[in-house]
Amino acid sequence: MTVVVDSRDDFTLENYRRVAVGEEPVAIGPRARRTMAEGRADFLRLLESDRTQFIYGVTSSFGPRAKLTIPPDEQRAHARAFGFRRGNWARGFGGGYLDERVVRGIVFARLANFVAGNSKARPVVAERLAALLDGPLPRVPLDGEIGAGEVLPMAHVMQGLRRGDLEEGEANPLMNGSPVSAALAADTALQAGHRLDHAEQIFALSVEAFGAPLDAYDDVLGDLWGDEDDASALAALRRYLAGATPGGRRSAPVPTSYLVLGRVLGQAHRAVAGVDEAARVSLRSVTDNPVYVPPDEGHPLGRAFSTGGFHNAMAYPALNALAAAWADLTLLAQRHVTALGTAAASAPPVRGPGAVAGAATGLEPVLGGLVEEARAAAMPTLLPAAVNDAQDDVSSPTFSAYRRQARAAECLDGALAVLAAEASQVLLRAGHRPAPPLQDLLAAVRAIFPPVDGRPRDAGARGGDLGAALARSAVTGSAPFGSAPFGTGR
Amino acid sequence: MTADHRRSFRQRADAGGPVGEGVERTRSRGPVVVNGRDDFTLANFGRVSYGGEPVRIGAQARRAMAAATRPAVGPPGRETTRQASWTQARADFGGGYLDAAVVRGILFACLASLVSGHAGVRPSVAERVAALLDGPMPRVPLDGQAGTGEALPMAHVLAGLPRGDLREGEEEALLGGAPCSAALAADAAISARHRLGHAEGICALSIEAFRAPLGAYDEALDGLWGDRYETAALRGLRRYLEGAGTAERRFHQAPVSYRIIPRVLGQVHRVVAAAEKAATVSLRSVTTDVVYVSDEVGRPGGRAVRSGGSHNGMAYPALNALSAAWADLALVAERQVTALNTAETSDLPVNLVAPGAPGNGTYAYGWAASGYVEEARAAATPALLPGVVEDPHADVLSPVFSAYRRERRAAECLDGVLAILAIVSSQALFVTGRNPAPPLRPLLSFVRSVFPPIDGTGERDLSADGGRLQQALAAAARSGELAAAGPASPSRA
Repeated sequence: MTVVVDSRDDFTLENYRRVAVGEEPVAIGPRARRTMAEGRADFLRLLESDRTQFIYGVTSSFGPRAKLTIPPDEQRAHARAFGFRRGNWARGFGGGYLDERVVRGIVFARLANFVAGNSKARPVVAERLAALLDGPLPRVPLDGEIGAGEVLPMAHVMQGLRRGDLEEGEANPLMNGSPVSAALAADTALQAGHRLDHAEQIFALSVEAFGAPLDAYDDVLGDLWGDEDDASALAALRRYLAGATPGGRRSAPVPTSYLVLGRVLGQAHRAVAGVDEAARVSLRSVTDNPVYVPPDEGHPLGRAFSTGGFHNAMAYPALNALAAAWADLTLLAQRHVTALGTAAASAPPVRGPGAVAGAATGLEPVLGGLVEEARAAAMPTLLPAAVNDAQDDVSSPTFSAYRRQARAAECLDGALAVLAAEASQVLLRAGHRPAPPLQDLLAAVRAIFPPVDGRPRDAGARGGDLGAALARSAVTGSAPFGSAPFGTGR
Repeated sequence: MTADHRRSFRQRADAGGPVGEGVERTRSRGPVVVNGRDDFTLANFGRVSYGGEPVRIGAQARRAMAAATRPAVGPPGRETTRQASWTQARADFGGGYLDAAVVRGILFACLASLVSGHAGVRPSVAERVAALLDGPMPRVPLDGQAGTGEALPMAHVLAGLPRGDLREGEEEALLGGAPCSAALAADAAISARHRLGHAEGICALSIEAFRAPLGAYDEALDGLWGDRYETAALRGLRRYLEGAGTAERRFHQAPVSYRIIPRVLGQVHRVVAAAEKAATVSLRSVTTDVVYVSDEVGRPGGRAVRSGGSHNGMAYPALNALSAAWADLALVAERQVTALNTAETSDLPVNLVAPGAPGNGTYAYGWAASGYVEEARAAATPALLPGVVEDPHADVLSPVFSAYRRERRAAECLDGVLAILAIVSSQALFVTGRNPAPPLRPLLSFVRSVFPPIDGTGERDLSADGGRLQQALAAAARSGELAAAGPASPSRA
């Protein structure tokens, strides 16, 4: 299939997924081509009306030399020169590379400013850009990409674009703007919903393994707490605990980590919704500098003016909030593992006829490191302190925020893998089957990490396999550990 | 909170005036009467906390509490009873104290669970809690308050409550909810809305002082960016810049810090809205560890549900987000100070020294701003779930006090940078003999009433004058009104 884009409304999270994850090509629709052609013609009329007016990058130089005007008879050459020489701004290196799916996403997001004619560019430029998705994408280093706007990473993304014939006003729409923030937010949003669902399932498995009373997830709390995200978390827990046996559960005081589960997961719902909104808004935003606004009653030639659209101020805080939510969930998972281990050691929860003896998983010690790493990754990326020059005096921190969120998510996947293995082990020792919606999950956990029976084996490697399986499932949206999907999911 | 601020807030409530966008407008009618959870609004919080109004339990609430059946429940949560006994020993590890207005707010928030009838307390107990608002507030230390739930600070808040005749479960209900989170979020949210409004004004003043092109705030961007919070920020700036002259503006684009300010302010709008939502939701939540449900079909005897309601999972992240937004806004404001103070960038007189005047003008104010920015960034370190564990049962603690204190510190630093930006903007307009757009003139008058332009006619204590402007901005964040905080230091000829 091909994703056809005809207007900004086509830049949805679902279409992003099709292009970035599903690797579908993109075609520029006829309506978009028409709009771009009209926008280009209108812009040229505006330019020809006065080639001495200030239009950043068209009648002026770039960056700190924005004051420098380009004489009218040199403006075409100026555009071409950008294509050949100054357009090669790729500078960053090291730190690994963006996944190719994200680079595809950046190309897709970049097209949003073209289709409504705000880019000032000819349709052929947008078509050329879309065609990049038909071949291998360039590698974009993760280090060294912090600057004003997103021209540094965009220079890498555009390396394969033929640009020697660019005309006036067509260079900036390729490089300026904030499609990278949009794509990083979208890539994260697609995974975050899946990851949260995995967390809810595994925490529910832990509730079953511990034999925690079900009161703490009662539907009456949704109204009493009065918050939609807390209510969503409670509903998800109840969905996975449907049919759980009410008898044989613990009556002694339950660790706080089981009682507060709905509230902590509620905050994760809030953070996921935040990054989802940031992605949806950013994907369809026109963020060019300068931006071209088509003619209206007061401006018969339209207008081209400088803006700060290239600075996406919502994506990195949303990624920060998500990283913090993952860190808190990682800590909660560690508390659950400790509680399961402590409870099993002091009073094994023998709740079924099939109880068997079994050793500990041996995975618990890795949690301390994962929790600390997740907390370190949750330190927020703020606006960078460094100043490039007097003109470019504020940089964008989205790359840092993306990497930290990814690291916090990786730690959470590891902690959830350990919790799943530990819960599986406790359930085995108790001879207890979890609630029906959790049984496929348990089978999938045991397929990768069979219950420990005392015989030597490489628990660390298998625990790592569990974490890796969770990370893959977060990208693809498959059920955790490849288990059969249950119910509606998220 | 000063008596003036309390009076100001009261007058505004009496007049039905705004006490913060997102805060309901209301008229004071003497005591705040609470009859149900819907009475626990941000506006009523403001009346009780800042307006000093008393609270009375309404007849409907008394009926609900009296009618609620209270089935047997297991042993009280050991964590709350144990923590209560700790603080009965008057543990006070310092770190300063909560403002009395916030303590009033905690008492108010505490009543939401009680009047709902779900906390299992008698009406007389709720009335006793409400009566605490008629007397002086106890001191609540800021240090040492991270425990499971909020029993530790609540034991301080309720120190004056007669407890000798409390029945089973009532003490746990009083200590076991999350009213501190609700009140801290509400206090921060109300100040944050005002602070945002003042920040928009000062940024607009800076735009005028720098003569930045107005395209970066054009209404066409509302639709092109397509974000409601950025639209709110763009509109806020345009309101202040209405009627701004276009003739003398620079022809080329302004530095990044001027062009991205609507997007940065848009993020502030987003986090302020989130803090208001956290406060609004939390104020009316029933959060006691055990809730009694007596109105369900098929359960005539009612039932008790034990939950983790005392852990508020939304307030501390909302406060963290505010801190980060203040830190980022402080950095952008500092960059604008630097741009204004740098003649090569601004095309303004060197150091903004008045023509023919001696002295260094506003030189080094940018350095002072750097200190605030760094402090704000340190305060933006988020409060996460604490790493410590009290015991195997109390294994997750609440970080809301830490988050609140960090937000206060980040806000204080922002006020410092905004004061400097206002000083430098005022000076830039002064030395070039310009007036800003008409909507900004009252703000400029306010700034100059506290910090007159540096005209080189005498020696002034510029540090003290700057501090007064910072204090005036801090006070305005609480009251919602810009008012001079004492006269400027006299010039010494």
